[in-house]
Amino acid sequence: MSNTLLDVRNLRTEFATQDGIVHAVNGVSFVLEEGETLGLVGESGSGKSVSMLTVMRLIPMPPGRIPSGEVIFQGNDLLKLSAEEMRQIRGNKIAMVFQDPMTSLNPVLTIGTQITEALELHMGMNNEQARKRAAELLKMVNIPEAERRLDDYPHQFSGGMRQRVMIAIGLSCSPQLLIADEPTTALDVTIQAQITDIVKRLKRELGMAIIWITHDLGVIAGLADRINVMYSGYIVETAPTKELFANPLHPYTVGLLGSIPRLDEGKREKLTPIEGLPPDLVNLPVGCPFYDRCRFRTEKCLQENPPLMSVGVKHWSACWNYEDVRQQRDAILKRTALPVAGTPQS
Amino acid sequence: MSTIIIRRLLWLPVLLILISFVTFALGIYGPGDPVQVMMGLRARPEIVEQVRKEYGFDRPFLVQYVNYVGNALRGNFGYALVKNPGQRVSDLIAKRLPVTIQLNIVVLFWSVPLGIALGIIAALKRNTIIDVLVRALVILGFSLPVIALMPVLSFGMSRRHDLGLLTIGPFLPVGGWKGMFAPEIIMPAFVLGLGILAIYTRQTRAAMIDVLSSDYVRTARAKGLTEWMVIMRHALRNALIPLITIIGFTLAGLFAGSFLVEAFYSIPGVGALAFDAFTSREYYVIMAVTLIGATVYVIFNLIIDLAYAFVDPRIRYKSGS
Amino acid sequence: MATTTIDLPAAQVELEKKARPAWLETWQRFARNKPALLGLLIIILLVLTALFAELLAPYDYRQTNLDAVEQPPSAAHWLGTDAIGRDMLSRLIFGARSVVFVMFVVATLTFTLGLLLGAIAGYFGGWSDTLISRLIDFLFAFPSLLFIFFIAATIKPGLVESLRSFALANNMPWLTDFVRSGYADYLVVMISLSILGWAGLARLVRGQILSLREKEFVLGAQAVGVPHWRIITRYLLPNSLAPIFVAISLGLGSIALSEGILAYLGVGLQPPNPSWGNIIAEHSVRYWRTWPEMIWMIFIPFAVIASVVFAFNFVGDGLNEALNPELHD
Repeated sequence: MSNTLLDVRNLRTEFATQDGIVHAVNGVSFVLEEGETLGLVGESGSGKSVSMLTVMRLIPMPPGRIPSGEVIFQGNDLLKLSAEEMRQIRGNKIAMVFQDPMTSLNPVLTIGTQITEALELHMGMNNEQARKRAAELLKMVNIPEAERRLDDYPHQFSGGMRQRVMIAIGLSCSPQLLIADEPTTALDVTIQAQITDIVKRLKRELGMAIIWITHDLGVIAGLADRINVMYSGYIVETAPTKELFANPLHPYTVGLLGSIPRLDEGKREKLTPIEGLPPDLVNLPVGCPFYDRCRFRTEKCLQENPPLMSVGVKHWSACWNYEDVRQQRDAILKRTALPVAGTPQS
Repeated sequence: MSTIIIRRLLWLPVLLILISFVTFALGIYGPGDPVQVMMGLRARPEIVEQVRKEYGFDRPFLVQYVNYVGNALRGNFGYALVKNPGQRVSDLIAKRLPVTIQLNIVVLFWSVPLGIALGIIAALKRNTIIDVLVRALVILGFSLPVIALMPVLSFGMSRRHDLGLLTIGPFLPVGGWKGMFAPEIIMPAFVLGLGILAIYTRQTRAAMIDVLSSDYVRTARAKGLTEWMVIMRHALRNALIPLITIIGFTLAGLFAGSFLVEAFYSIPGVGALAFDAFTSREYYVIMAVTLIGATVYVIFNLIIDLAYAFVDPRIRYKSGS
Repeated sequence: MATTTIDLPAAQVELEKKARPAWLETWQRFARNKPALLGLLIIILLVLTALFAELLAPYDYRQTNLDAVEQPPSAAHWLGTDAIGRDMLSRLIFGARSVVFVMFVVATLTFTLGLLLGAIAGYFGGWSDTLISRLIDFLFAFPSLLFIFFIAATIKPGLVESLRSFALANNMPWLTDFVRSGYADYLVVMISLSILGWAGLARLVRGQILSLREKEFVLGAQAVGVPHWRIITRYLLPNSLAPIFVAISLGLGSIALSEGILAYLGVGLQPPNPSWGNIIAEHSVRYWRTWPEMIWMIFIPFAVIASVVFAFNFVGDGLNEALNPELHD
């Protein structure tokens, strides 16, 4: 039933700095179907935000550079479009919501202006139509007294409300794809839940595809259809959400799962942090980037960086020793084995 | 917010009293016995005594101060003694003020818009050759000593230069005053505006760079706005707000710059009057210029602060809540 | 599980890199900035010239020679001579000494006063803050250069006169000589430049300290009972020095400019004191109209002042970039 909406192939992004070239994204490939929700998980510096900014072509260049890759969106390679063609896609077919709602809205323009300008530009509405639509959008994201609040400035809204305004801006032109870059990270836990609920509901109503960037597996467990785990600019594991939680086959994913607090385990459980630091993105190692922090490492890992290997149904992992991971992870996570969706293929 | 405004308004008269007091005390008693300074050391003592009585210098200091301020409030800043003996200082200033104002209008008219434009361009073309050139221009504007620049430029612009086959010049008239639309104004307006150009360019560039890397400009780009809208509507509006704070510096720079420029180019403005007053120790004129300059400056700065609060909605609305 | 143990955690490499001393990194960033290095070189040359003026100058800067007036540059007088036959190079070299002397004293005074009063106002707050801040506000109520002119013009005759009578009353012939030879001009210039200078620095320091005072490491120190002066000198000032150095470096350039303007206005250093400002004041009136072929008599002091001010601006900018790397990455 589903068609490919976005096909990212071997995408790389670099930044020239005084200390050398920072390799932020190192050959990322994935496919997103129409209406699918994809979670992009990793710690800061793993390249998850940069890769999505590259898709939007919002990387400042210079210092940024895209040495290779294709971003096929609805059949067109976005990286080959002219600046003007790309501009017509941004905010119109692909929208992005950013992490910090306190700084992402322009402080000297009213909320109304900030919503209507995109509508007037992309949808050709006149001011009156755009204002009407803007009020509807604010209602959609549960902002009371929407018409009146159009004339308010961002600082008159709370953090959670501003993020809802950002979502309203993102959805204003009914995009096919919404990229949400840690939209709940800067917010209180209760507000986080409100925001995720609103996005879930709007996705049901509007049916757009979503890429949700987060460093917190817990946040997208109930949201994403599939999850890409990223580490130092590589996708290290990708699987459908349930499969990933039940059957993690990369040591880093296991580490991430180990660091989620679990309510069902009782209070005796301690969280297990992942020791060490990610590698320096200026001098990437030849071998596996996770080597230094990995408890499964072998000689081979030091010499050769593992590619993504098929390890199950719609499940790929970039670990030479994924079989070891499979055998030991439940012990490490101190849990009983969960039912696994598909049978292993290898 | 409103309490800050009230506090500032209450502080204003205190400040003005302090300014007038210091100006009076330093201006009259700073150089030593005022009558001796006026009459010179060789004056006969009985005449000195007479003048002392006539001018009221024999009365208590505070009485003299109150008299001075009272007269100043009525527009009387004393009399000139050295160059135009007997003339009212206020008349001298009033006659020359229009010239200075016209000159400064021309200066602001070319330097501020050009500075802002250069700052925007440099910020957009950051780290390119254009940016490097603009930054060099800024440093030039801050570093060139005006007192030496004027004669050097005048030499370059006004003389016939015999370059073998080619004779060039004269380009521009140097000195004189024929109103704000005559070519005589070009050189002084250029020299006086150079520093202002530099400060506006630097501030605009810094503010634009800051704003262009902000999250809300990224949001504007993510909305697919045209580059023109991103820069003019989203970036520039925010970048111009901090520029309000340098209006005060601009004014201070113009005050001091006018002295040197008007004196050198023989422009009959207040600046030239002040320059003559400084070189010939015309204390009543020096005091009047300082007092008026500081008063205008203080009131202007207050207006600027209020304007700042009004332009930035973040500050404006704090008063409401 | 087949594991080999080759232990070189990335974290350790990271730490070793961080362990390089901070000043070395700052210097390396500064040294990448070529104009700033050039500026530093000019400043070093200026200071050396000032220190060894007697050795470097071919003539006495006061010595007139009416047989050789207004000479163009020659082997005997590298930069020519002025209207009464004084050697231009020697006048410029001793002018460098004047400007460095003024800069040194003014910078020391403003730095000490600004740091002290700014730190007191920022750290203790209360009435000491009110008093110091109001004083600063008051000084800034005057347009800065106009105020400097005003101070210099009004205190000069009184200061000279009271020094003279003080010297007479206390029988101090050296002080009489000091006044007679015009050295009191230096006092006038230094006082008028310092009065505003300290206020600018104090305002900066106060702001820095106010923002640092609420930081955790300071609150922590207060909580364990570190004495106030130790907190100010060990915790607050070292962390607020960066912008202060930048401000001083930029301020030194404007001291050189102001010294020239004061001389030009007739309220700064007057002949026979050697000063770039009074050379320009003298020559710009005398030469640009009547004898345009002599433009180098203005152009050379112009180039000298301009390059010194350039140098301080470049160094100030360079310091700013080196001390705040996040601004420029």
